[in-house]
Amino acid sequence: MYMHVSELVAAAQVKQQPIYELMITQEMSVTHASRDDIWQAMGRNLDVMAAAIEKGAAGEGVHSKTGLTGGEAVLLKKYREKGHTLAGDTVMEAVQNAVATSEVNAAMGVVCATPTAGSAGTLPGVLFTLKDRLDLNRDQMIQFLFTAGAFGMIIANNAGIAGATGGCQAEVGSASAMAASAAVAIAGGTPEQSSEALAIAISNLLGLVCDPVAGLVELPCVKRNAIGVGNALIAADMALAGCTNKIPADEVIVAMDKIGKNLPDSLRETGLGGLAATPTAVRIKERIFGHHPTAQA
Amino acid sequence: MTVNYKSVFDIIGPVMIGPSSSHTAGACAIGRAAHSIFKTKPTDIVIHYYDSFAKTHKGHGTDYAIISGILGFAPDDARVPYAIKLAQDAGINMTFIAEVKASPIHHPNTAIIELKNQQKSIVVAGCSIGGGTIEIREIKMDGFDIKPRGPLPILLVPGSEADHHMITKLLSKLTEVTDQKHYQAEDHNLYEYDLDRQLQHTEVQKLAADYGQLVYLQGVS
Repeated sequence: MYMHVSELVAAAQVKQQPIYELMITQEMSVTHASRDDIWQAMGRNLDVMAAAIEKGAAGEGVHSKTGLTGGEAVLLKKYREKGHTLAGDTVMEAVQNAVATSEVNAAMGVVCATPTAGSAGTLPGVLFTLKDRLDLNRDQMIQFLFTAGAFGMIIANNAGIAGATGGCQAEVGSASAMAASAAVAIAGGTPEQSSEALAIAISNLLGLVCDPVAGLVELPCVKRNAIGVGNALIAADMALAGCTNKIPADEVIVAMDKIGKNLPDSLRETGLGGLAATPTAVRIKERIFGHHPTAQA
Repeated sequence: MTVNYKSVFDIIGPVMIGPSSSHTAGACAIGRAAHSIFKTKPTDIVIHYYDSFAKTHKGHGTDYAIISGILGFAPDDARVPYAIKLAQDAGINMTFIAEVKASPIHHPNTAIIELKNQQKSIVVAGCSIGGGTIEIREIKMDGFDIKPRGPLPILLVPGSEADHHMITKLLSKLTEVTDQKHYQAEDHNLYEYDLDRQLQHTEVQKLAADYGQLVYLQGVS
């Protein structure tokens, strides 16, 4: 099992195999499932991602039960149609996809956790934009997911991916890093460049706290996925340009773990600190749950 | 070294009903573990939440998720958001307690589940470590107080020492046993095996054919 990014990159170089191929081989050896079953299972996850992206931006969009989130993927879609985005259509398409997926998640729709549900918009957001930008076919999209999974497993096993233990950096930060490294690979970059993209992406989001308003996966979670995709595309482009992070990916992952452990409880998915502690957030919480949030059955 | 995330589908997955993989899908998985142990319908469910689970269970849909798991639903089952109503209709009493003290199993996403009916009762202490992946750190059943290290999959087999030797032999053909413990309650024995990989459904069925009392706990992906 590949436990470090350096190990994965070295194996890809020595074996002259793409990272997605190493991931599939490892999965076969760990689960004893056939290559075909593993491939098909990833294809089904891809279909779930596609459906969420479509659902979130179709018609009037989706809206959560609380009314705190929803409908903004549709706003983004209409805005993009005018053709005057500041960041360019590739970035804003990724943002729309990420917001659509995260709005579906907040509305208790079906999503594929990548690596978590709170960060589920980031990876598909990048992938479905690259589908259009690079004209990817279905097989390439599945390859992208295996590449992202290979890097994601290493992050998860060395630092963790829960907001309650590591803050949002562990969720959107990890998702953004997975997307960045897989984007590099699918764009023709080297495994080493994927590793640099991962290191840059995580470094840029270190310290990001988990401060959900009223404890709901809505504010600021949906929009954190927008920064996740922007950061991923930037980190991938920087790595493809030849920029390097100087601090290696494996050390960045350890740094993220240590930062997470040093975050106070109030900033680790308790809904007590950060944005969740603002006067507006407190009013929102009271409106939704009343004054005694634990009294309700 | 203990590896929690063993499959690529732990990271790209699970497919689930939102909104939180740790507080919804993971809660469902803890519920499913309790379901796998209890094996039948409870009349009473008591859930104790700690730390982040205690603070945010309502916002995250943790209540319906954990009940859906206890009812045996998968995290992408369309019935997940309606699990509380379904349990009420089935005459099951449910109590949710947000504990103020720290988690007895030392994790911010902790749920302790008590299930009972007229025949038996169990206690399962689990924590949700992120992305829908869980650990089970304590199980009280049939007089045994089982304390696994946490990571799944875990196989529990009540039986004699001879059974233990046979199971060990069977497992050696399937996967590595990363940890193994023996528990005693009066004159009964139970053996715990922590496995290196998830077993295929057919492999579990084959074991269960000879050891009907076995409990196999695995993640949701």
